[in-house]
Amino acid sequence: MIDLDRVSKQYEKGQPAVDEISLHVDKGEFVFVVGESGAGKSTLIKLLMKELEPTHGIITVNGYVLNTMKHRQIPKYRRQIGVVYQDFRLLPEMTVYENVAFAQHVIEAPAREIRKRVPEALREVGLAEKYKSLPRQLSGGEQQRVAIARAVVNRPKILLADEPTGNLDPRNSLEIMKLLEKINEKGTTVLVVTHNKDLVNRLGKRVITMHRGAIAHDVEEGSYVEA
Amino acid sequence: MKLSSFGYHVKQGFKNIGRNKMFSIASIATMTACIFIFGAFFSIIMNVNAIRTDLEQRVGVTVFMNEGVTDDQMTQIGDQIKAIDHVTSVTFTSADEAWSQYQEEYFESNPALAEGFSDNPLANSANFTVLVDKIENQDAVVSQIKAIDGVRQVNQSSGAATTLKSFNRLFTMLSVAIIAVLLVVSVILISNTINVGIEVRKDEIGIMKLIGATDSFVRAPFVVEGLILGLIGSVIPMVILYFGYNALMTKVLTKFGFLSSMSGVLLSVKQVFVYVGPVSLILGLGIGLTGAIITVKKHLQV
Repeated sequence: MIDLDRVSKQYEKGQPAVDEISLHVDKGEFVFVVGESGAGKSTLIKLLMKELEPTHGIITVNGYVLNTMKHRQIPKYRRQIGVVYQDFRLLPEMTVYENVAFAQHVIEAPAREIRKRVPEALREVGLAEKYKSLPRQLSGGEQQRVAIARAVVNRPKILLADEPTGNLDPRNSLEIMKLLEKINEKGTTVLVVTHNKDLVNRLGKRVITMHRGAIAHDVEEGSYVEA
Repeated sequence: MKLSSFGYHVKQGFKNIGRNKMFSIASIATMTACIFIFGAFFSIIMNVNAIRTDLEQRVGVTVFMNEGVTDDQMTQIGDQIKAIDHVTSVTFTSADEAWSQYQEEYFESNPALAEGFSDNPLANSANFTVLVDKIENQDAVVSQIKAIDGVRQVNQSSGAATTLKSFNRLFTMLSVAIIAVLLVVSVILISNTINVGIEVRKDEIGIMKLIGATDSFVRAPFVVEGLILGLIGSVIPMVILYFGYNALMTKVLTKFGFLSSMSGVLLSVKQVFVYVGPVSLILGLGIGLTGAIITVKKHLQV
């Protein structure tokens, strides 16, 4: 599902942000990517979203070779990937319903489909009753759940989460992680970049540890290991 | 872009306008001024042209014959004149008719004065009045008439029509210059408005792109915004012009006294709006679209 073959990304002169990494993630896997700040985790997410071009190496995701992908193919590719960020990135003037429906509008889903899928996605994240609320009226955990609903409403094959619990307290962090696990159980491949040691250790999933742009450890059912 | 998204884009376009009210109002106001001036100048030009055409059709060439020309020869000369290209009508006035017309015109208030003439003092003034289709063809026709055997003199009176033509040319050039400047200002203002919209929606656009929006989907609301601004900016001045047309034209044509003395007849508002309406609408939408496309291309690297 996700293949990186000796991929590097160098922004300027000096140490590459990502340095010759090779990894493979199978369909339906749940993977944590951990490491200190500046280890290259967020650059990895950006490479997978094709927000950045690699300096070297080949990236293949869900059959798409990102290096050779034409600009006009990018939207189609991104529709297969859901993405969640630490700062939620909700649109403040839109209600919960509108934020989630926004993702459906963007892919030009028919109105009938939007009316069906949005409530389903909100039920999935446990926020069906708050569909009229504005983001500022919600707690951090709830806002992240809206962001997850928006990420999954288009039924992506892969869900990328960049520090999804970075702004949350331990209880909300655990709830978000359980939600991601639930989404993974339904068949979506999930890749979570995180600093949260407790959660990584608690869930017992595959853990890839990055250090200075390279992969230091890659352990099935691993735990958070300082590189 | 799918048809199902059309309503969504229109809604977003209106939202953009609402978000940048001040910029939108400024754009609409400039467009309104631009298109109003365009419409007003266009209407004036159309009216002046109508007056000119009317005048041209009434400005004749008078052809006098040599002394002693017989009636048969006069008929032949008339036929030769009729055969010249661009001649639309040839009217014969005999010496007696010329004298009667003269008396009517100058001695109407005092007929006794005319009685002092025992013979026709205009005995050699039998003439043809020749009308030409366009004023610019008059010189060519006159030179051909002069070449006809038996023609003594040809009088032209194209001065008024020529003056009007020069005036109209000057007025058109002035209008084009003013409208061109206003067009550029309008496009720049619309571009600024849309640019502000793009800045305000930067986060939203970023999310759209990550979710998988196509380039045309990201651009569409801004193009719709430009078109809406263009539409409003062309409808407002057209409504003002439609209802203020008669007052405006009367005032403008009165300012140029020689125009009103030449023809008191204005084209009807409907005659003018058949052209001004669609052209203004296309102009407004064109300005909106151009402003949007330039800005989106420059600031929206999607």
